[in-house]
Parts: sequence; C-alpha cells; structure tokens
Amino acid sequence: MSKTAEFEPKIATFLCTWCSYAAADLAGSSRIQYPPNIRVMRVPCTGRMDPFLIIKAFNEGADGILVSGCHPGDCHYLDGNLYARRRFVMLNELMQYAGVEEERLNFTWCSASEGKRFAQVVEKAVNRVKKVGPWQGFDGQGFAREEGELVSEQL
Amino acid sequence: MSSYEKVTDEIRSIAEKLLKEEEVEKIIGFGKGLFSDEVTPIFVSRLKDVDRLIFSPQASMSLAKYLLNYKEQKVAIVAKPCDSRAIASYLSEDMIKRENVKIIGINGCPGIEDNSACQECDIRNPVIADYTVGEEMSEEEIQAEIEDFEDEIEKMSPAERMEYFRKEFERCTRCYACREACYVCYCEQCFTESNQPDWVGESVKLNDNFTYHLMRSMHMAGRCVNCGACEMACPEGIDVRALAAKMVRAADEIFDYKAGLDPEQKTLLSEYDVNDREKGFMDE
Repeated sequence: MSKTAEFEPKIATFLCTWCSYAAADLAGSSRIQYPPNIRVMRVPCTGRMDPFLIIKAFNEGADGILVSGCHPGDCHYLDGNLYARRRFVMLNELMQYAGVEEERLNFTWCSASEGKRFAQVVEKAVNRVKKVGPWQGFDGQGFAREEGELVSEQL
Repeated sequence: MSSYEKVTDEIRSIAEKLLKEEEVEKIIGFGKGLFSDEVTPIFVSRLKDVDRLIFSPQASMSLAKYLLNYKEQKVAIVAKPCDSRAIASYLSEDMIKRENVKIIGINGCPGIEDNSACQECDIRNPVIADYTVGEEMSEEEIQAEIEDFEDEIEKMSPAERMEYFRKEFERCTRCYACREACYVCYCEQCFTESNQPDWVGESVKLNDNFTYHLMRSMHMAGRCVNCGACEMACPEGIDVRALAAKMVRAADEIFDYKAGLDPEQKTLLSEYDVNDREKGFMDE
C-alpha cells in the first residue's frame, strides 16, 4: 500500500446568487460530478464583489480563487457584472504583476442553465491551481493545513 | 536664469496680484524649509509673505490634497502638471468647487529631483489652470524628453516578482506616509483602520504589509496620476509606486484610459463599456 499525498487545493469561490449559484445548484441536482475543492461564498451580484475580498482570500490562505457571475448582458441588476468585469481585469493585472500566478486567478461567467459548464469550469480551475501547487502566502511562509481536509491520501 | 527661478518669479507676481485684488484668501504653494534644500508646503495669506513662495527641483509633494481642507474658502494653488490632474480628478469626483479654487499651473514642468515618475511623465503642461507660469511645451519636445521606459519587473517570472516585492515590503513600517502623500487617499476612514470588516492586520507582518500595498494599489486603479509623491514620501525608500504605476499602464493599454485629464471625466471603474476586453478571464 503506497501512500502518495496529492495536493488538494482550497479554492475560494464567489458565485452570484442569480446565475452561477443556480448553476451550481443545477449541477448538483443533475448529479454532475465536480471536484470538491471549492468553498462557495454566495454574493448578490459580482458587482458587489469588492476586489479586497479576493486579496483577503489570498491573505488568509486560499490556494486560488474562482469568481463566476451572470454572462455580460444577463445581469439580474442589468449592469452589475459589467462594472465587475473592469474591476477583475485590473485586479488580475495587479495580482499577476505582484507575482501571484495567473492560474490562481479564475474569472468566468456561468448562467443558471449551465450546470454542466459549471462542473467543467470548476474542474478546469482546480486543475489550473493544482498545476502551480500550494499557495505559500505573500510572505512565503505557507499555511498550516489541516490533515485530511486539504491533502487527500491516495492509497 | 534657470526655469525654476523664472517660474518662482512668475508665481510671486501672480500671487501678489491675487492677494491685492482679494480674489483669494490664501495661496497654497511651495516654500523654503528648515534645512538647506528642503521644500515645504506654505500657506500665504499676507502680501508681505508672497516672497516666501518658491519653486525648486525639490518641490516634490502634491499640494492638491490641501484643497480638501479649504473646501469653503477661496484659495489659489500652485500646481505642477501632475497636481493639476489631481485637481481635475477632485473636480470630477465632486470633492471641491471649481469657483473656489484658482489654479496657478506650471507649464513645461522641468521635473522633480530624484522622482523616477518624472522620467516617464508625458503630460508636462497643466490640464486645467486659471493662470499659467513658465513656457508651454509642445508635444514633440515632451516626446523627445521621455526616456525609453523599460519595466524590469515585468520581465521577471512570477516567482521572481513575488520575491522582489517581498524584499521591498519587508521594510515597510506601515507609517502610512505613502497614503498621506497621495492625493487619491482622502477617504475619511481608510480600509486599514476599518475593523468591520477587518480587511488587513495593522502589525508589520510581511503578509499584511504585502496585502496593504496590494489593496491600496487596487484603490489607485484608474485614479493614480503617477505623480510619484508616494515614493518620494517613503522613509524606507520602498518602490511603492511600482504597483500603482502598473495600474496606470494597464488602464492605458487595456481601456485606453488616463486619469485626471478632464474634470468631466468619470473614473475608470465607475463606468463600463459593453465591449470591454476580458483580459485574463478563463475563456479569453
């Protein structure tokens, strides 16, 4: 019995309640499998997302982030995601410039009917984060990982 | 006579005229500091003090922020081109009233000593002014003086960049001199002092220092005019401007946006275009 511990990232996931959260719901009720690495936070709209929330997620040890909202033009609040889009583009530039790998920053859109796409998005995001390995923090000290929760043991 | 002395003389004569005709109560300008070359902000309200106004290569601070202290008074302000952009931003953000401020703009700004931002500066004439001093620079003259800017940090790998910024922010003592010097940072309650939500720890741990600078730079996005006041203010000599300058370049490249060119202009993040690029998104 060989024990190889595989890195299981923890991805802070922000989903807008009207589209992407419903997509996650649909994925669930359709029994579509996707990796359990995401920790979902439900926000009223991606326009509500303060970029600080994402920076803070990294400050506190998330290995990556995933933000998903309604497709542009389909926002429940008409234009919330269009404001958010600019913010995310600028935040992405900033974080990458500061040395955070682009694989840790995942932004996308998912409508309420795209349960299957949501599962694919999560899978893609998890694979991207796995590629760059555990997040060591802005100070490079790493974070204490709870046994079993973050590192799964493959027997 | 150097251009600095010429500008000084012209500032004094305009200041004298404004005070004599009682157009303004106060003139915010640069004055001689306590030590040899030091320059300090001064506030002139008596005619006999007009001769204390100067302009020199050490006049690094952005005076625009003092306008927020005199919102209801009629004041005049000496403004370098970058300060004039800051004033234009204040006007666009409804922070000051146009009729209360007279702007003495410095045309063809000769630059500030040791300020690395001046080498990248492409706006050398004030964008908004009531009176101007110095000689206006033409577009060709400005282009000829810009040094080819190569971003060394951009060329590094993500890990090297992270290491570079760690080395820089490690020295940060969180004195907030950069915040106090910056014209953008006028919030009544800064996120660093907020405890609900508790955005960032107040101690000088590297993790929190890094987070503070990232968050501050995010507030700069689309508002920073790249004046370099933060860098000049930093007692530790940290490359504070690097992140904010990146935001300036990104806004220009991706959204073709420059902050503070027009008092009617909206800030980058307070408007949108349906066809905005989704640079860096998963599907692009």
